[in-house]
Parts: sequence; C-alpha cells; structure tokens
Amino acid sequence: MTHLPLILTLAAKDLRLFLADRRAAVLCVAVPILLASGFGLVFGRSPAATGGAPTLPLLLVTDGAGRFAEAVAADLLAGPRVQAEVVTLEVAERRVADRRPGVAVVFPDGFEAVGRWLPGRTGDRPAVRVLHHPLSASEGQWAEGLVTEAVMKRLARGPLAALGDASLPFAVRTEPHSTGDCRFNAYTHSFSGMTLQYLLFWGMESGLLLLRDRNRSIWGRLMSAPVPLWAVLAGKALSTATIAFGLVLATFGFGYLAFGVTVGGSWVGFLLLAAAASCLAASTGLLVAAVGGTEARARSVAILVILTVSLFGGLWLPAFVLPGWARDAALCLPTTWAMRGLDGVTWQGRGLLSALPGVGVVAAFAAVFLGVATARLMTSEARRRRGIA
Amino acid sequence: MNGPSALVLNAVRVWYGRRLAVDGLTLTVRAGEIVGLLGPNGSGKSSTLGVAAGVLDPAGGSVSVNGVRRDRDPRAFARLVGLVPQEPAVYDELTAEANLRFVGRLYGLGGDDLRVRVDRGLRFAKLCDRRGQRAGTLSGGLKQRLNLACALLHDPAVLLLDEPTAALDPASRDGLFAELHQLKEKGVAILLTTHHLDEAEHGCDRVAVLRDGVLTACGTPSDLAQTSVCGRAVLYAHLRERLPKFFRVSLRRRIGRDVVVEITGRRLRLSAPTQQRLGEALAVVMADGVTLDAFRSTEGRLDHLLRGVPAAETSAEAVPASGGR
Repeated sequence: MTHLPLILTLAAKDLRLFLADRRAAVLCVAVPILLASGFGLVFGRSPAATGGAPTLPLLLVTDGAGRFAEAVAADLLAGPRVQAEVVTLEVAERRVADRRPGVAVVFPDGFEAVGRWLPGRTGDRPAVRVLHHPLSASEGQWAEGLVTEAVMKRLARGPLAALGDASLPFAVRTEPHSTGDCRFNAYTHSFSGMTLQYLLFWGMESGLLLLRDRNRSIWGRLMSAPVPLWAVLAGKALSTATIAFGLVLATFGFGYLAFGVTVGGSWVGFLLLAAAASCLAASTGLLVAAVGGTEARARSVAILVILTVSLFGGLWLPAFVLPGWARDAALCLPTTWAMRGLDGVTWQGRGLLSALPGVGVVAAFAAVFLGVATARLMTSEARRRRGIA
Repeated sequence: MNGPSALVLNAVRVWYGRRLAVDGLTLTVRAGEIVGLLGPNGSGKSSTLGVAAGVLDPAGGSVSVNGVRRDRDPRAFARLVGLVPQEPAVYDELTAEANLRFVGRLYGLGGDDLRVRVDRGLRFAKLCDRRGQRAGTLSGGLKQRLNLACALLHDPAVLLLDEPTAALDPASRDGLFAELHQLKEKGVAILLTTHHLDEAEHGCDRVAVLRDGVLTACGTPSDLAQTSVCGRAVLYAHLRERLPKFFRVSLRRRIGRDVVVEITGRRLRLSAPTQQRLGEALAVVMADGVTLDAFRSTEGRLDHLLRGVPAAETSAEAVPASGGR
C-alpha cells in the first residue's frame, strides 16, 4: 500500500496525457458511438426498428397466369406483410440475381385452375416457382408461406365458402420475448458489441503507447527514479481501465439519449461487467506491450486478434448467426462471456446472478493477461538492464 | 575538488549484447566536482552513465553514492541521483509545471515542499512566466533547462548528464555550463558525457577518456595536456552559416595538408602542428569571408587521446588523478 500514491501519480499523469489532446479524446469517445450507431442502423431490422411487423420485399410475376393469380397478387400487394411489386419474368430474374430483392414468386400458366379447386379433386397441379438469391433461402421459404396463405384465403372466400366457414380455426399472435419487462431494442446489441470491441482497441493503443515510452528518454527518467517497474505497469493499467470505464458510460449514455438503449436488468451487473471489461482492456494493452515486440508488429497482430475475437464473440452480429462449431469454440473467448452478460442485463432484462458468470470469466481472463504481461515485461526489462535485450 | 567522494564506480563491467561495453571502469566523482566522460561513439560513455543512474545493471563491480550502494539499497540510491538524458525526458503534452510536479511525486515529494521545489525549478529553468505552457511548445534550450530542472528537483547529490549540449546553440551551451558550475559550487557532483573536446577541456574539472570501454586517461585537462605525446594546436569554432561543399573542399586545398580541417554542420575544427600554422589557417578561413560566432583554441592533448593514440602510449603517467586506472 505504500506504493499506492505512486501508482495514482502515474495513472493521473496518463489521464492528463489522454485529456491533453482534446480532439483525440473526443474522437476516442465518438468512434465507438459512431460504430455502434452504424451497426444498429444497418443490422437492426427488428419490429421495433421498423415500427411494426417485418415486411418481405418480394417480386410477383403473373404474366399469362390468369385472373386468379392476379387476384392473389393484388391481395399480397394490399397486405401489410410484403413490399410486393409486379414485374415481368425477365425483370424478376435479373433483379433476384442482383438481390434487389432476394426473392420472386412466378405464377405459372394454368394457375387459373387453382381458383376452382375443391378438397378431394385430383389432377395436375400447377407449380408456383419461388426464385431466390443463394443468400436469401430463408426469404424464399417466407415467400412460399405468404403465397400459400394468400391463395388459401382467396379460396376460402371463393369455392370453399360453399362448404361453410373456411377461415383459419386459430389466431396467431406474435410478440418479442425476454426475461424481464424490457422491450427489445436493436441498437442495444450493437452498442454492447461495438463498445466491447473498442475497449480492446483502446487497450491495444495504450499498450502501444507503453512500447513507445520504453524507447524514449522519459523511460530512463522513470527507471532511474525510486519507482519499481510493477508500479509503473500498475499505473498504466489503472489509467487504461479508468478511461475504458468512462468510455463504456459515455457510449451507453449516448445510446440511451439517442436510441433508447437501456439497462433493462441489473444495474449492478451492468457496472460489474463494465468494470471487468475495462480491466480486460487494460490487461490486453499490457499484453500487447509485453509480447508485441516492435510497435508495428504489435499493432498488426493485435488488430488481427481483436477483430477475430470480436467476430466469434458475437460483438458484430448476434452469435446465433455463427455455425455451431464456432459458437462452441467461442466459449473460450472472454468477449463471448462479456457479450452474453451485457445482452443479459440490457435487453434481456436479467438480474445480477445471470451477469456473475460473465463477470467472473472476463475478470479471470483479465487477471491471467495481467499476470502474464507483468511477468514478461519485468523479465524483458531485467534483460534490458543487463544489456541482453 | 577536494570534497568527499560522492559517486564511486568500482571495477564496473557492462555488457551490451555480446560486446563488453565497459570493462573494469573505476572512477570517482567528488562532491563539488565536474567530471567529463569523453570518448568516441561506442566507447562506453552512455553505458557508464546508465550504470551510474541505475538504468543499467553492471555485470561486475559496484556503484555507490555517498556510501549508499546501488545493489544494496536501490531506492535510497535512486534518491541521491539525478539523470538528465540526452533527449529531454519530459512529456510534451504536459505543461512545464505539470512535468515538474510529476517528477517530484515520483521522488515522494508532496504538499508545500513540492510546491516550493516546483517554483524553484521553474525559476531555475527561467520558465516562471511559462509555467502553464506545454513542454512541447518550448524552444530546444528551454526544454533542456526544464529537463535539467526535473533532474534537480529532489536535490540529488550526483547529477548525471548524457551529452547535455548536443542540441544547444553556443549561447545556450555556455549558459548550461554556467549553471553546472553554480551547482558545483553548491557541492553537487556532476558527471557528464560529451564528445566535444572543448567542452571537456573548458567546462570540466577532470576529464576521463574512454576508448572501447576502457578508461585510457583521467585527470585535469591541464595535467593531460602536460603529458602530451604529440601535441597539436587545435581550434574549435562555431560558424554563423553552413558552408557549401565546394567551399569546404576549396578551403582544405588552400590551407594545406598539414592542417586538418573538419566541418560538421556549423562546427569547425582546425588541428595544426603549431600555433603559428593554426593562426595562418584561421587567417585563410577569415579571408574568405567566413564569420565565426565563437572559437576556442587548445593545445590539443585530449584531442589525441580521443582520436586514437594507443592506450599503451598514455598509460600510467597519463592517469595522475585519483580514481583513474
């Protein structure tokens, strides 16, 4: 504890250096906000984000298919669940290939006969073609369902009406579900993910600054002063973690004001996760300085690693879009646990207990990184003092 | 120069990679004494200073200040030493005052004591009216003064300076040496490295010459000059303007081969076999309209020690002062 004032002095110096370049400091806060806002805007096609039920962009081809097909197309056009457009087959093929949009429904010649269909009738059945872009298979299935529903509803109002009430014998009600009372906000995931990713980048930058300092004359002054190396490293870690924690608060604060991002679950859990992630950023920075070698080498490797753990940790897009093996492998990454924890206490509205595993795993990773980095830096400095390095 | 021993390097050996950078160096710097560590690049000057500052660990031997051995009590040792690195060791983004405060806190200073010392440091660095100015915006001379003030903040018994005049103009250099002499009067032991012979001869009480990590000579400049083996008259001058290459070639041709002319940037060095030939060479330089800002002449004994007289020629009798090998 006798070194605590020294560590605080070193950390305060780093904070002053951070704030000395005000534009850089503002950018440091702005970048994760811009990234999170951008990701939320691009990928946030949720019911809440679109102001209602999701709609399917769809092309309809009815050339030569008859009046029943045109009636079905008119029903689809009038319905709230598709953004449909009637085009020719040639246009539909060209636009689907370009994924504008990714799916088209082509009613065939002879579809008129479907309008006279009754249960039990046999004979040839015309085939409706659903064209979809290779990346839009799920939209293809969605379109198939919508067309089937539209056809059956029209039949229910036509030939089937004679048999009695042919409307659906059940109602469907869709609603988003999470643990608490909070409502899903598409920006919440992007703000959690992009903030976590930027914390790691901030840690990397801090580590690179340490590498740079070690090659400057100021390092000689530090090493000739009555300051143990571990205190210098502790000061660096403390300042990096403090700034990282501030970044989390600033980013989520902006998210709340601009996009209604809220902590729907445990606030304590959120703050613990933020603190653990800040410590992870600080220890990652020291690790970069410890194992990076030269600054250029350290930057390249660190960027690769950070982008990889961000992708597999589900920081860019929700982890469920990843293949199963990737999701299993990602369990050994701290980013996965941090993201799970943040998703839990924000839009899933979970309590403190659900956040604790994430806090524990992230803190454990931070401790291991810190230990390895400190040991490595102390060894490297000792070698340098002996003229070996 | 008769003060008690302050810094004692005893049989110090320093490895740098696979090279023995300092080989068995024994040197004492007394309180109130300025010792110049002289030698060509790679001779072990900075390594010696690094060991004395506690930045490098010696492979052998010992270092102590006022009887406190570095290996036994490194923290107490560190409080007795002030290091002035060659490049100003200050944070450009912080103000002059913030730099001083930071360094003071590293040495455990605080409260009124720190405030008084910071004010004193700002006065010393002539930065009282610029205390809130960022160090990065100061001129080279002021930055170097701040660098020095940082090293003096905790009142070290020994001040170590690594080529302190490397980036200074002649006026700032003279000013720095004037301040070093004031510190010397206060009893501070000063060890500085330089490869400028005139600084060593005129600014230092004693000069220690290193070659390939070995102390080849140590003594007062006049002692060393009296033991001249092949003394030459040498003049150092500072040119007001840089000379174009064709002019330098022409100058060498007209002065004659017996006078060595070296021009590095705006530094001019003339080395002649006699004072008369030196005067003649200087006359040729001046006749061509070259303006000198300042110049000094010397008998040039150190010049030869530095520039390659074999160690065998300067052994024993060339080391009259205490602490030499």
